[in-house]
Amino acid sequence: MNELITYSSGFTEEIGWEWPISVYLLLAGISGGAIIVALLIRFYKNQIENTAVYKSASLVAFVTILLGMVCLVGDLTRPLNFWQILINYNFNSVMSIGVAALMIYIPLSFVAVVFAFADFVKERFSFLTKIVDLLLKFRVVLEGVLFLFAVVICAYTGFLISVLVRFPLLNTSILPALFVISGLSAGTAALCIMAKRVFNENVHSSDMKILHKIEWPIMAIEILFLAMLYISLATGNEAGKIALAAFHEGSWSTVFWVGIVCIGFLLPIILNFSQKEQENSNSIFYISAMCSIVGVLCLRLFIIYAGQTFSV
Amino acid sequence: MSSSKENNRRNFIKGIGLGSLFLGSVQYGLNANTNKENKKPHYAMIYDQNKCVGCSDCEIACQEINLVPKNQHRLYVEDQTKPDDLQHKKYMRVSCQQCIDSPCTEVCPTGACHKDSITDIVTMDIDKCIGCKYCIVACPYDVRFINERTNAAENCNFCLNTNFAKGKDPACVESCKYDALVFGDLNDETAYINKILDVKDAVRLKPGFGTKPSLRYIPKLKTGVYDE
Repeated sequence: MNELITYSSGFTEEIGWEWPISVYLLLAGISGGAIIVALLIRFYKNQIENTAVYKSASLVAFVTILLGMVCLVGDLTRPLNFWQILINYNFNSVMSIGVAALMIYIPLSFVAVVFAFADFVKERFSFLTKIVDLLLKFRVVLEGVLFLFAVVICAYTGFLISVLVRFPLLNTSILPALFVISGLSAGTAALCIMAKRVFNENVHSSDMKILHKIEWPIMAIEILFLAMLYISLATGNEAGKIALAAFHEGSWSTVFWVGIVCIGFLLPIILNFSQKEQENSNSIFYISAMCSIVGVLCLRLFIIYAGQTFSV
Repeated sequence: MSSSKENNRRNFIKGIGLGSLFLGSVQYGLNANTNKENKKPHYAMIYDQNKCVGCSDCEIACQEINLVPKNQHRLYVEDQTKPDDLQHKKYMRVSCQQCIDSPCTEVCPTGACHKDSITDIVTMDIDKCIGCKYCIVACPYDVRFINERTNAAENCNFCLNTNFAKGKDPACVESCKYDALVFGDLNDETAYINKILDVKDAVRLKPGFGTKPSLRYIPKLKTGVYDE
């Protein structure tokens, strides 16, 4: 930026937001993504019973969002003051909007766990039967609201950092969309692992087939969004060109090409096409799912670190 | 019949007269009120690059008065002297720009980073700050930091709680031997700061971000033609 007068150094010699934020962004993406996919399948197939996919999704969503909260609070410089954010709201702030959404989303994701294991809860904690039955009455409504807020959670994490004007890589309108789609990708992968590992779901069951099928369009859209981000920066103004260097220079460009492109996109594709029908594909199934999650983690790390490194 | 009609007309005209008198005075009252609101102060600072010699008295005074930890700063003076032209020294003040449309107060989730209700100066309510660092990454000028002693975010607030509260100029302005800093209320027509702005070219940093900073910089124009 060529201005008549300016200064070159700032107060944050290092990075303002570090890896705990990246991990939180991943966990929130997984949580929202898993719920979105599972509820879409449930609504689409008009399922009434609790499938393995639904059970996995509720557990994955609830546990990951709680772990995300640990990361989030742990990253504060005054974690013991955390309650202040729960009583003070500034609705100009995306973070405040996010906290308000989380206050609705987290209890609802717990309610989804209760739905998924309703019989178990009623059996073991019989005194809760009335409450569970009451909740079950409003199941469709609650799941609808949960679905809506799962989308909000995925999207807000993108908006949270896209408002940061100093960082041209982050300050783009594509970022929230990229975060929603990559959240879906990681959520689906986590869902697959959980359903197979914990609930012994057959890889060739109809639900798992749907999951497997939607993985590819999700990945295609993810690649498309990344390409759009790249091209918009390359064809943009001077600030865009500063940010474009993030893809080619420094250690975070390695994370992009190795972590996101090779592990996140290429490896699952190669693994899937190299796989033979009769072969025991257990390990390949797990590896390719893990690759998706690692790829999305790398994407979050790249966005947070490279985004803040190449500032204007 | 006709007299009552006339009466009606008379009453109507009377009504209009009284009504407009009433509305007029209301209007006047409202105007007087908005005028008063416009009189709310807008504190600003000028940094004159031509006068600054980089002595760092301002940095030290700020640290002392605002109890800023030793290795941290609310403001510092960057040495912009070109290494191949040491004859022509050039310095630059780095500190909170006191934006009118301040991104830090916009993004702060708890309202800890806020504008003071009386002076409109961007400042911190340390008790409310949770240290999320959102204000730090949102600031286009990168002039906010976490105070190591309090673990809360901080910025230059024109010594709002210290010197300003005592009716004095900010510590940096007070300590500057070369009058490179001028502090004052832009809405006070008689203020010295306005007299300078009337005759000098003063610029805002990074105006492209649209945050309307209250800090003005008078750029160095010395080219060295009178040397030798």
